[in-house]
Amino acid sequence: MTEVQLFSTCLAEEFFPEVNDAAATVLERLRLKVTPVRGAFCCGQVAFNEGFRDEALDLSRRFLNSVEPGIPIVVPSGSCTSMLKIFYGDLLADDPALSAKAMAIRPWVFELSQFIVNVLKVKYIGARYERAVAYHPSCHLMRELGVRDEPMTLLSAVAGIRIRELRDREECCGFGGMFSVKFPHISASMLEDKLARIRESGAEVVVANDCGCLMQIGGGLSRAGDKIEVRHLAEVLAARQG
Amino acid sequence: MAEIPKARDFFESSRAAVSDHELRRKLESASARHLDHFAEVKAEFPAYDDERDAAHRIKTGAIAHLDELLIELKSKLEARGCKVFFAEDAAEARGYIVELAKGRGAKNVVKGKSMTTEEIELNGALERAGIDAVETDLGEYIVQLRGERPSHIITPAIHLSKEDIGQLFTDKFGIEYTAEPEKLTAEARSRLRTIFLNADFGVTGVNFAIAETGTLVIVENEGNGRLSSTMPETFVAVMGIEKVIPRLEDLSHFLEILARTATGQKLTTYTSFITGPRREGDLDGPREMHVVILDNGRSAMIADPVIREALNCIRCGACLNVCPIYRRIGGHAYRSVYPGPIGSIISPNLFGSAAGYLPFASTLCGACKDICPVKIDIPRILLHLRWKESAGEHRLKWPRAIERARRGARRFAKMARHPRTVRALGKLAAMVLKPFAHNGYLRRIPGPFGNWTKYRDFPRPRPHQRPAPGPERPPG
Amino acid sequence: MAELHKIIASVKDALGVGARSNSHDAAASAPVPVAQSAHRAALASTFARELEAVGGKFLGILTPDEVTNRIVTLAGEIGAKTVALGQGAVSDMDAIGEALERADFRIVRTIPVADTERAAMRERVANADIGIADADFAIASTGTVAVVSNGDRPSSLTLLPPASLVIVQIDRVMANLAAVLAELGPEGVAANRLTLITGPSRTADIEKRIVLGVHGPKSIHVIVVWPRDD
Repeated sequence: MTEVQLFSTCLAEEFFPEVNDAAATVLERLRLKVTPVRGAFCCGQVAFNEGFRDEALDLSRRFLNSVEPGIPIVVPSGSCTSMLKIFYGDLLADDPALSAKAMAIRPWVFELSQFIVNVLKVKYIGARYERAVAYHPSCHLMRELGVRDEPMTLLSAVAGIRIRELRDREECCGFGGMFSVKFPHISASMLEDKLARIRESGAEVVVANDCGCLMQIGGGLSRAGDKIEVRHLAEVLAARQG
Repeated sequence: MAEIPKARDFFESSRAAVSDHELRRKLESASARHLDHFAEVKAEFPAYDDERDAAHRIKTGAIAHLDELLIELKSKLEARGCKVFFAEDAAEARGYIVELAKGRGAKNVVKGKSMTTEEIELNGALERAGIDAVETDLGEYIVQLRGERPSHIITPAIHLSKEDIGQLFTDKFGIEYTAEPEKLTAEARSRLRTIFLNADFGVTGVNFAIAETGTLVIVENEGNGRLSSTMPETFVAVMGIEKVIPRLEDLSHFLEILARTATGQKLTTYTSFITGPRREGDLDGPREMHVVILDNGRSAMIADPVIREALNCIRCGACLNVCPIYRRIGGHAYRSVYPGPIGSIISPNLFGSAAGYLPFASTLCGACKDICPVKIDIPRILLHLRWKESAGEHRLKWPRAIERARRGARRFAKMARHPRTVRALGKLAAMVLKPFAHNGYLRRIPGPFGNWTKYRDFPRPRPHQRPAPGPERPPG
Repeated sequence: MAELHKIIASVKDALGVGARSNSHDAAASAPVPVAQSAHRAALASTFARELEAVGGKFLGILTPDEVTNRIVTLAGEIGAKTVALGQGAVSDMDAIGEALERADFRIVRTIPVADTERAAMRERVANADIGIADADFAIASTGTVAVVSNGDRPSSLTLLPPASLVIVQIDRVMANLAAVLAELGPEGVAANRLTLITGPSRTADIEKRIVLGVHGPKSIHVIVVWPRDD
């Protein structure tokens, strides 16, 4: 059986563990052997984005030593995938050894939907999910990785699903990692508009590929006492009944 | 003198701005109109992406040869009869222009729209020398009347409604109140026409300087640039060193994209090509023409290969219009002449490390990078500046809550080096916090990220391990 | 006082830090090719469409003999009393001026001036109701006219009066901007002030609403003219 490495990401591991379960389930249904990357907890993006290079460097070293090139590394996050694939290039520019390692794994790193649609060439996974769903594309997924259609391709092939159009869906939800606590007023203003769009879409569930967006949108919905739920794409794909 | 922006001021001004719903309405409607127009002109111009690539390539090449190009430009400008002054910083540029205006006995200075003269704070300097300088771009004229600075690179009065402007004209000119843009524009036209016909000293910015011919290219819609550069006897063009392009044949690539992204037009109404002062017998054009070429921190930007890319900017303003943050807080909240995503790069480089908070005021969503006509990777440069700021000796003074959050992030990153420990701590946190959770969320969280729950709930930590998915890979 | 060499030195230093990327020789790329096969009239009609899209008025493709009459009619249509015109690059401005005078319009003729007459001449042009000038080129894809100003055809003619009339030869209508700049060439562009004019003067500075006639003309009319020997 062909193997993949599944990197949980810190947010999913701590706050959305079912995302990792779901991602593993989906990959196993596609006849892959799933090995979790247990040697690393975080890709280092939070430190990198704040400008703490030394800490980010340590975490990248840790990550790079915990994975192997030659085996696909699947990540249920557009943001962490961008860090591993794109920003490691900048972070490690002055460290030839680590840089070489990062270059070696780069072609093996994939965001989950990117991996399923573009590498496995699979659209239909046999999922059934009988809910009204709005898809929120995360920023790094779209604009760093260029993954724009893949999640919708997969969602459209889920039995029973009712896709709802989300107006201005490419607008950032306002999470932005530490931005959300450093400038919470701006972040909340962005969230407010996103929630308004979600409500007017008539969706029962908001789906995204990044736990950061799920935290932000889910936290906003919870504070408003809203019944609309947030789900990671992996959870929808792993579902077998409504 | 230039206002030294502070992180705390930004925090406060942005907080006031996000709750200003009227400001938001104005910014949203202006941005939406712009983006609609842009989408239309882009759709009917299939060569758009090729032209973007060409523009990016030419600018990158020009910056890489800037020393040679500046020498060529200087000699061509001089051969056409221009006086060329290189200014190392804002003070030198200001000083040169003020002395020149005094020397010529200038009484009526007219200014075409120019962000570079905003950057060097020319109006204040002229005023201190007892010389009135009138902004003649309609938007600039309006903000000057209000004693403000422009809040957008392209649309200076974007933060004002037509009612605001109507009231302003009534207050300043004693005319009957009207909020009709046509009438307000006509009023400004007639007042400014008189000023133009009597102007003795004109100042404008420059969009492109062609090294090959010594030609300055000025792009505009109203005619203020044409009038400012043709009516007065003395004309001064102010440009940053990065405005130079090698050859005439390079120009069309920029003009084909600039108006499309800036205003959603195919070409702006007026594109003036000025090569030297007026010739013998000409009715129009200045008797003497000066070109002030400003460094003011730009050459230092070239030294950093990542930041250098920001000098490709052609000041179209599109990144402001797509930025979800700019659209919420407006230009003034940035507290810098250059607001928005590109301003967050330029400002700390031109105005010093005190503006170093600006690169942090971004979710890095990348909408700016997508729309940028010269393909500047703005988020990447912002990240680079964050790193430089955090590694620098002159640490920013952050408001306390931000400082705490940043320290918290750093502590987390240090801890995350030890996955076993951090996982154990995660489990502990899950246990401790469980009783406080409601439907999976916490209403309030303590600690460095406490700001989160000011506005939304926080998901309850609940790490668990999936039952036996296979053997674990040992950490290396 | 800053010296060029200081700034050049600091630019040089800066460039020394990061490697030079592609040379600007390689950077320059060819202008968008001109559609040679396109018929003149087809270009003129594209030009007309684009001109109208930006709020300009297209007065048709006329023979040289029709031009004078059309101008006299236009002056009447817009209620002009005074018409400013210079020397033509191709049009017979003397004949046009005479025809306008016969029709009782006042004429302001711009001629090369001495410094002392400049202000008075400008005042007269500014007070005219319409300015007439020949263009050197037109750009079909954007509805633009390209006017090289000089003593005979000052920039004021297309800038100060509230209406502007521009006349362009049909064989000077080019497909796009790159073609016009290539035709003019570096020497042509540098010869004197060149202005590309795309529609009437406009602003969107008040709530992004488009208002015409800010500092320049509120209306622009263009006549495309066949060559005399066609």
